[in-house]
Amino acid sequence: MMFVIKIFFSFLKIGIFAFGGAYAVIPLVEEQMVTNTGWMTFSEFSDLIAIDELTPGPIIINAATFIGMKLAGLPGAIAATLGCIMPGFIIVLTLICLYSRYKKIPMISEIINVLKCMSVALILSVLLKMIMNCVFPSGLNSIDILSLVMMTVGFFILKKYKPNPIFIILGCGTIGLIASLMGLK
Amino acid sequence: MKTCKEKSDQTTMNDMIRKAWILFINTFLISMTANSGYAMLSVFKNRFVEKYGWFSKEDMDDCIALAQSCPGPIACSSATIIGYLSCGIIGALAGELGVILPPFITMAAVTYFYTFISSNIYLRIFISGMQAGVCALLLDIVLGMFSGIRKKNDVFYYAVIILSFLYVRVTDLSIFYLAIICIVTAVVKTLMIRRKVEKI
Repeated sequence: MMFVIKIFFSFLKIGIFAFGGAYAVIPLVEEQMVTNTGWMTFSEFSDLIAIDELTPGPIIINAATFIGMKLAGLPGAIAATLGCIMPGFIIVLTLICLYSRYKKIPMISEIINVLKCMSVALILSVLLKMIMNCVFPSGLNSIDILSLVMMTVGFFILKKYKPNPIFIILGCGTIGLIASLMGLK
Repeated sequence: MKTCKEKSDQTTMNDMIRKAWILFINTFLISMTANSGYAMLSVFKNRFVEKYGWFSKEDMDDCIALAQSCPGPIACSSATIIGYLSCGIIGALAGELGVILPPFITMAAVTYFYTFISSNIYLRIFISGMQAGVCALLLDIVLGMFSGIRKKNDVFYYAVIILSFLYVRVTDLSIFYLAIICIVTAVVKTLMIRRKVEKI
């Protein structure tokens, strides 16, 4: 039981400082799990990253469930997951309450506007990283045309017909799989 | 009189539970398929703004900005915010639960047979194909937010976008500091405008 509580607090610490999406969280988890506590070896940790690519959901939750499960079974997994989402949940709720009450004040709306610009920059940066990853998988001199076409067509379908975006994602996955089975890729 | 009030309480309660259920199902489905929290933003925009009309696109953009300034995965924070806006604290909990359950269940299962999953080539190809779809969704979100900013027609905002972009690409510093810098800039800007107006 003490151990489960320890896992909870360890992930609480990760949760508080987990700013800026998946790529920023990976070093945090590594520091806490491999260096500070020694609960994982580094090779187990790189396995975790590979599995994360194949499983749904944010990496921090995947990591928490995986590590918690390995350390102390299901109670460990629950403690770790709760620990890492709790700080974010509380801070978000506080902010949104403040926002819905005070959004008419000029200073608050200005803050939101500037943060909105920051968001555009952040998403743009992730988008570039992802495009590099899937359109230029092996350097700038070779283009993965299929991915580029799927991305462009997907974007226009989304703009024009506004389907549920899940279908776009699943559709791209299926087309990619079929293309590689037919030896096109 | 009393029964009438009770009846309306009953309907708002039912309405809230219905909304929370829709939220849960939608966040659950997208969390199960997408590997990116940003893809979730696209689903929220499509379902809750365009289909159900629970709130406006401007509110949605504000929410994305707030979600990015908080610790934790974007998927969790945006689901919490959208949930809270649609039907209060129940919605926030429903959204959050919808986001964490799929990865939690899969990961718990994965620990039992993870050699099979990590070595399955078809699964890998399928997932790398899905990334192209996620790129398309992100493009849509970013352009939508940008056109909202462009309407304000202020060079200051363009500067913030470019500088933040450089900050993320060039430095390794945490987004936390960037958010703080942005907030301070906004405060200074409003104070300066206010002083100018007072002088006139």
